[in-house]
Amino acid sequence: MIHPIIKAMSDNPVRLVVSPPPHWRSGRTIQGMMRAHLLALVPAAIMAVAIYGVQAAAVIGMAGTAAVAAEVVCLRLQHRDVNVDNFSAFYAGVLFAFLLPATAPWWLAAIGGVVTIALGRTVFGGFGCNPVCAPLVAWAVCRFSWPDAMDIDLNLAHFMANSPVDQLKYFGVQSLSQFEYMDLLTGHQIGGLGSSQVLALAAGGVYLIASRWTRLFIPVSFLAGVAGAAALFWFIDPTAYADPIFHLLAGSTVFGAFFLATDTASSPVGRLPQTVFGLLAGTMVIVIRVYGVYPDGVPFAIMVASLLSPLLDRLRPKFFGVR
Amino acid sequence: MFKIRYSLDCELDNGITDIKPPQELNVQVRNLVLKAKKGGVLTKGDIVAEHPSSMLGAHHVASCGKVTAVNYHSLTVKCSGEEDTVEPVDVRSMNAGAELLRTLRGLGVDVSQLSGKAETLVINGLNPEPGVSVAQQILRDGREELHEGLCLARELISPARTFLAVSQGETITLPGAETVGLRARYPYSLDPLVVRAVTGKEFPEHTRVIDVMALYALGRVALTGLPVTDTIMTISGRNYRVPIGTTINHLLNVLNIKVESGDTVVLGGPFRGEAIYSLYDGVKKGDYGLFVTSSKAIPAVQDAACINCGECVLQCPARVQPHLISRCVEYELFDQAEKYGLNSCFECGLCAFNCFARRPLLQYIRFAKTQLRTKAEATQA
Repeated sequence: MIHPIIKAMSDNPVRLVVSPPPHWRSGRTIQGMMRAHLLALVPAAIMAVAIYGVQAAAVIGMAGTAAVAAEVVCLRLQHRDVNVDNFSAFYAGVLFAFLLPATAPWWLAAIGGVVTIALGRTVFGGFGCNPVCAPLVAWAVCRFSWPDAMDIDLNLAHFMANSPVDQLKYFGVQSLSQFEYMDLLTGHQIGGLGSSQVLALAAGGVYLIASRWTRLFIPVSFLAGVAGAAALFWFIDPTAYADPIFHLLAGSTVFGAFFLATDTASSPVGRLPQTVFGLLAGTMVIVIRVYGVYPDGVPFAIMVASLLSPLLDRLRPKFFGVR
Repeated sequence: MFKIRYSLDCELDNGITDIKPPQELNVQVRNLVLKAKKGGVLTKGDIVAEHPSSMLGAHHVASCGKVTAVNYHSLTVKCSGEEDTVEPVDVRSMNAGAELLRTLRGLGVDVSQLSGKAETLVINGLNPEPGVSVAQQILRDGREELHEGLCLARELISPARTFLAVSQGETITLPGAETVGLRARYPYSLDPLVVRAVTGKEFPEHTRVIDVMALYALGRVALTGLPVTDTIMTISGRNYRVPIGTTINHLLNVLNIKVESGDTVVLGGPFRGEAIYSLYDGVKKGDYGLFVTSSKAIPAVQDAACINCGECVLQCPARVQPHLISRCVEYELFDQAEKYGLNSCFECGLCAFNCFARRPLLQYIRFAKTQLRTKAEATQA
């Protein structure tokens, strides 16, 4: 038997709480962070329901529930504390749902939610250890496994609007005259059920930055990367390439900038690394949209940039006093 | 409910108040070389313990009395209430040199910044942490001691230039020192950052830095010839002269502060101080504050995984990578932690302050530094 160590003078009636310094802390917690992020997604979710109907809410609910359930099972299997009350699993599930077409069948949303947690996070060590954004892993798995069910243009063909990025890919820049930028901004374009609500997502993103839960560097440099790279192509030939404003408003550019690229675990830390990361990811979006086979380049662009994070982390200033 | 602030400026309404002498002293002797025995009768200023290093000062008893208990942690003295003191040492007539340094060490002065010559001497006159106004108070009320301390320090170090760093807007001068106004905001009161603000260099060579609390203690030793037996502490906004070894219990009783089970009592400042576990703990030399916070006011520290949000890196004034350091230290990879800037860290605590995952980052950093130091000492020996 191990005898407890009785510290000197510890036999007193007032039991003090001992903790390491600092004794003041900012009071910010992961739970608060995730709650703020979910709040930032609420406008986009409302817009999704307004445009696509209740089925959008059903997809969000299914993916979120499946993610939480998967997290509970995974944590249990690892004999870890079940801390789903920090909302991180639910948030990841909702992010995945935002990338789906609103007509996605229930099993697709459920499988995606489970894959988000199991393959996106748990196999790498859980929340905070994923090398690429977890919802994007699930998106990629589903995109390759069930391409028909994931195809936005195909599944939402009965809607009046078209998918701007698909139109650009398959019918060229001339077909883009059908889109009014105001409609794209207010979400009257087809795309992922939440990821195409540009204005609502931007409002949520600005809220996160204003409340300092997210830092400016990644979103701003991501948008700058998209706009810059698009502007470059556009200057070369405006008749063959779409203009930068279209690229900013079409597809899931804004969603990627504020919610996917800023995923804490898979993005680098520090001012310069985060800025370079954003610029790289933003540029990749345009490169994929121009040369790639995928209409909306955002998910793959962010995944590729995430893989560069460990390298970008080395772009740090010299430590204090090191010459 | 308290409000977190970074500003170091405080309102000073009162002078330095003496604390009613306690009945009993608990002098901390952990890791020290004991010089007193149980049952020994001590006069105020008698040596109790010495520090094993050759730079740090000895420890003395703050009033006359009898040693009633000794253990590895502390030495308890029952005070007799007599007013006697030890024979004063005439420090002022001594010439600068090893002899003077040895005498000062014997009188309880930390001489690590005083030995050897240097080109620049920086006096850090900023309040060390938010809520602590000791430095400001000493600059206002302790001019005679500061002057004396500065003369002695300059004699020992013989610097070409001496600077006094104070809060911007203050018009305090010390003879022989150039006054520099600095932004009074945590963490810019920490020695390395004050030195950088004054000299423009990070960790420059041939530069010494002494804070006004230490300079004041040095000045008092020089003026009175008696050892250091008290410290000035900010307690709920006012400054008190507290005999070393006074129990926290005594301070709380005299000042009518209520502490309940579940509260956190901190010696030192809110960012760098030490949480005590027993109210019978004694005040240590160099403690500059006493804080009581309800543990419910702040979310508790957790043994949680890092989520890589990068907040610690963005907030770090030393530009180190606390997220990577702490991950290494968790797995006892102390040498690896040095590659992420461990040695540049000056322990401001802002990383742990801002951590969303509530990881004890400063604790990990201090732990790694201690482990590496112990290892280096073991290989040397």
